[in-house]
Amino acid sequence: MIVSESTAAPAQHLTSPSLPVEKFSYDNKIVKWFAYAVLFWSLVGMLAGLWASISLFYPGINLGLPATTFGRMRPVHTNAVIFAFVGNGIFMGVYYSLQRLCKARMFSDALSKIHFWGWQGIIVAGAITLFAGFTTGKEYAELEWPIDIAITLVWVIFGINIFGTIIKRRESHLYVAIWFYIATWVTVAMLHIVNSFELPISLFKSYSWYAGVQDALVQWWYGHNAVAFFLTTPYLGLMYYFLPKAANRPVYSYRLSIIHFWALIFIYIWAGPHHLLYTTLPDWAQSLGVVFSVMLIAPSWGGMLNGLFTLRGAWDKVREDPVLKFLVVAITCYGMATFEGPMLSLKNVNAISHFTDWTIAHVHIGALGWNGFLTFGVLYWIIPKMWNTPLYSKKLAGTHFWIGTIGIILYAIPLYWAGFAQSMMWKTFTEEGQLKFQFLETVTHVIPMYVTRSIGGALYIVGAVIMVYNLRKTIKQGSFVANEAAEAAPLPKEVATHGKQHWHRWIEKRPMQMLVFSLIAVAIGGILEMVPTFLVKSNVPTLSSVKPYTPLELHGRDIYVREGCYTCHSQMVRPFRDEVARYGEYSKAGEFVYDHPFQWGSKRTGPDLARLGGKYPDSWHYNHMLDPQSMSPGSIMPSYGWLLDNKIDTSKTPAMIRAMQTLGVPYPAGYDQEANKDLTAQAESIKKSLQAEKIKTNHQQEIVALIAYLQRMGKDIKSVPKEETAIK
Amino acid sequence: MNALSNLLRRSRINRNMRKVTMLAGCLFSSSLLWAQRPAPDAMGDPFVVTLVVIMALLALIIGLLAYVVLGSAELYRDKEKQEAALLPLEPEKKSQGVAPVVTAVVVLLLVGLPGLAQVNSIDPDAVVGYKLSDTAFYLMTGVIFVELLVIAALLYNLRVLLDIKKKKVFATNGATAKPKEHWWDKINKFKPVEQEAAMDMGHEYDGIRELDNRLPPWWLYGFYACIIFSVVYLWRFHVSHSGPSSEEEYQLAVKEAEEKKAAYLVKAANNVDEHSVKLMTDASDLANGQKIFETACFACHGKLGEGGVGPNLTDKFWLHGGSVQDIFKTIKYGVPEKGMKSWKDDYSPAQIAQLASYIHSLKGSNPPNGKAAQGESEAGEAGDDAGAQEAAKVAVDSSGK
Repeated sequence: MIVSESTAAPAQHLTSPSLPVEKFSYDNKIVKWFAYAVLFWSLVGMLAGLWASISLFYPGINLGLPATTFGRMRPVHTNAVIFAFVGNGIFMGVYYSLQRLCKARMFSDALSKIHFWGWQGIIVAGAITLFAGFTTGKEYAELEWPIDIAITLVWVIFGINIFGTIIKRRESHLYVAIWFYIATWVTVAMLHIVNSFELPISLFKSYSWYAGVQDALVQWWYGHNAVAFFLTTPYLGLMYYFLPKAANRPVYSYRLSIIHFWALIFIYIWAGPHHLLYTTLPDWAQSLGVVFSVMLIAPSWGGMLNGLFTLRGAWDKVREDPVLKFLVVAITCYGMATFEGPMLSLKNVNAISHFTDWTIAHVHIGALGWNGFLTFGVLYWIIPKMWNTPLYSKKLAGTHFWIGTIGIILYAIPLYWAGFAQSMMWKTFTEEGQLKFQFLETVTHVIPMYVTRSIGGALYIVGAVIMVYNLRKTIKQGSFVANEAAEAAPLPKEVATHGKQHWHRWIEKRPMQMLVFSLIAVAIGGILEMVPTFLVKSNVPTLSSVKPYTPLELHGRDIYVREGCYTCHSQMVRPFRDEVARYGEYSKAGEFVYDHPFQWGSKRTGPDLARLGGKYPDSWHYNHMLDPQSMSPGSIMPSYGWLLDNKIDTSKTPAMIRAMQTLGVPYPAGYDQEANKDLTAQAESIKKSLQAEKIKTNHQQEIVALIAYLQRMGKDIKSVPKEETAIK
Repeated sequence: MNALSNLLRRSRINRNMRKVTMLAGCLFSSSLLWAQRPAPDAMGDPFVVTLVVIMALLALIIGLLAYVVLGSAELYRDKEKQEAALLPLEPEKKSQGVAPVVTAVVVLLLVGLPGLAQVNSIDPDAVVGYKLSDTAFYLMTGVIFVELLVIAALLYNLRVLLDIKKKKVFATNGATAKPKEHWWDKINKFKPVEQEAAMDMGHEYDGIRELDNRLPPWWLYGFYACIIFSVVYLWRFHVSHSGPSSEEEYQLAVKEAEEKKAAYLVKAANNVDEHSVKLMTDASDLANGQKIFETACFACHGKLGEGGVGPNLTDKFWLHGGSVQDIFKTIKYGVPEKGMKSWKDDYSPAQIAQLASYIHSLKGSNPPNGKAAQGESEAGEAGDDAGAQEAAKVAVDSSGK
């Protein structure tokens, strides 16, 4: 059915000989800026990661400062790498390729500039606020509400700029790369807006609109699809442009492009619940997460195959060309990560891998291999192009390639090992039926692996530094072409077609329909998972014994969120024999109905805290926060001495209570004005219990509020007679 | 002119073939449905699910094979027709050749299956509850056996056809055989790179062209397989409920572990409890107790038992009793409301006995920085001076809050 088209093809781009050829230029300057931003933020983001990784075996690296503890460094690292490094990488690649694929300059140079500076401003503001402890406590969406709004605005500007360019294009059809850009734009907009629903109580503090199970579902719908639509689809678009260009080969299969594109964006969105297997998310939603993850293998691999098969007949070049080397390893890592992901989504595998370093290894195959190496390949390709000069040193690029590859291997393998070993230790019982290992033993066991991981990460950074040097030299020897001259015939009103066209060609001429269809494809999964979870009551059975937090506990919870405790501690006891033995009764959905935001966490560097309340005396917590090693020798938790000095801001209490009331927490009417009375009373009682252990503290100290929260955790369900909750 | 009519003819044949395969598909799906009907509850049995999945897979293979055999039969016949340079083909002539025979065999077998099955299904035993009846079992294995037969027949046909083709090639080209295709090229259905000009879609974007290569077959069937897996998965866990929910998995694990533990404890001389525990004085037992003390207890009770967050264990005052039985009980169950956790999931009864004996042995060791006395003296009276009484009172007040 397509055969007829090819006969008419060679003349197609010259279809209208009557129209004069227009002269215009591509804006390389904006691409250059984004490229510089990529180079800068790549080093910043990776160094933050290295710092965070070192603090896992040498907690003292935080130098006693709140800003540099793992709990704050880790969000800085993830945000810097995702939104600064990869984000700028997306914009660099899109601004370069979109102009050329549309045969048009960007819609507006002014919007390009606003986009650039707006985005860098967001990154800087994000880094500062995260270091300062302003966080929503939701992974990869930690930035507080004013920055969320700024992101939305800049994203809209980016959208106007790309759609403006697409609309004034001189190319009749949209190339597959642009389909991916469009899907990326609309889906990221949807994800960001839905997940960022939060109620501000001050300039830099807000509470998630959703609570507990629902908050978790929305968050991981977002979190998983941030990976899908920020780290994957735009980069697939880049692959579809830069790989054929660099290899000078035609794209292997047009049909494969079509099928894997639509299948990928439709299926991806459903897979979020695989981050919540064995949690209190309803079983049906978990199963949807499992099966859609499994079905995702083929669409993901479609992209990999189309990339690798495009290199057929050009594999000899791969040996020579550093750009292709990077691209090939990137695509291979993509294939590995997208096969491993569905395997990790199987419940029996997830039971082993979840909450361990296995997950960290998995995401870094994607981040270091796929995103990192693809970005490096693109940089090595466009910088010589834009500066009109060959690369300064192919040899250095080759060195970068090898150091980087070894870095990835040294990073990932120890963590796979650590994850598996730790999980097995958690689950081991003695023959007498006791847990064989204390949690701490499982932590100290994996520390050598943490050290090796940091060495791998450091090597990867060394490679990046070599790249920066190589590109700097290249830039120095070349001369920058700010406005690259180009010419093309304008787009005729009616595009002449010859013979029968492939059915998909219809939508390729219609960017708006492409936008709408993509939105429909990505909206379905989310709607079908979220609406029942929000509306059907049986999905989150309520427990009458679960009561709202006291005002002091609310303050404590804010501190818990601020310090990023969720980056190392989960609050989710899964229904496993070992977890029940270690932590206590497994978690129930109804326990989290007042948790704005939920704090289930995704990693257990430290033990689960869901049933911490009442396990240790107040004085234990006091000593432990001051010097964790004194209470658990060998612990890798940093000291939180400032909690003993800082005072909580009780003037905020009424606003906090009112916000919670707005979100549906049943405090009695007018309680906002009485809350501080209760707060003082509870704080005094904790102060007294500390005094009995010869610890002197003021009742307004942050440590008192945090102790109140820690002692509350999981207690509501403990006070209920066991038969009501337990199965035994 | 001749070429055009040839093309037309082929497309007609193709359409017919598609009909045949569709028919085959329908028949199979109906036979599948039927297979589930006699005992829908049996779908709870993983063994039954496995059998059904095997049946479905074999059916799929038959469908594919039938398609291939029909295709190669048509190809073979076309070639023969061309070589014979016959008149334009007339519709009724289509019924000649190998293909119809193959079709007939396949269709007969397909139709025959449900029929065969129906005979057996009259047996009332087939409709039993959760347990798979013998009849149903033999029925299903029978279906699988027949399916295997069909596959064998199809494979045989295919070989015959291919042999004919090969002989033809040899006949025309003499001894020059085609260069052998690499398996990698085969499973991906690669066309030689030299032929790609013929596959050019005619699209061109900034110099990037697109080819019209087929989807790699293993990829496509892998995709289908994943979809089938998903359907079976959802069926198993949410329709038939034959797979355990997370909660049921937990219950099963606990039950299994408890049985194992009980079996072990019967053999092991380890089932001491707070009633049967005896004070140990053996040096190695006490050393083990000390080791546990120095990992688990010292954070709260001090390295020498002098007390810290928790009470002093070296004096003769006890909050919960100072006999080895009492200490054993306190360690085993804990005193959660005062911050003493239960250790029974961490240490075995034998270990707790060692630990309790060690703690018992600390009495009167009088370490430096000893915490003030708390609780009752062993003799029965409270702390022996006013200060200790005061401290005990405060401790009780604060921990009993």
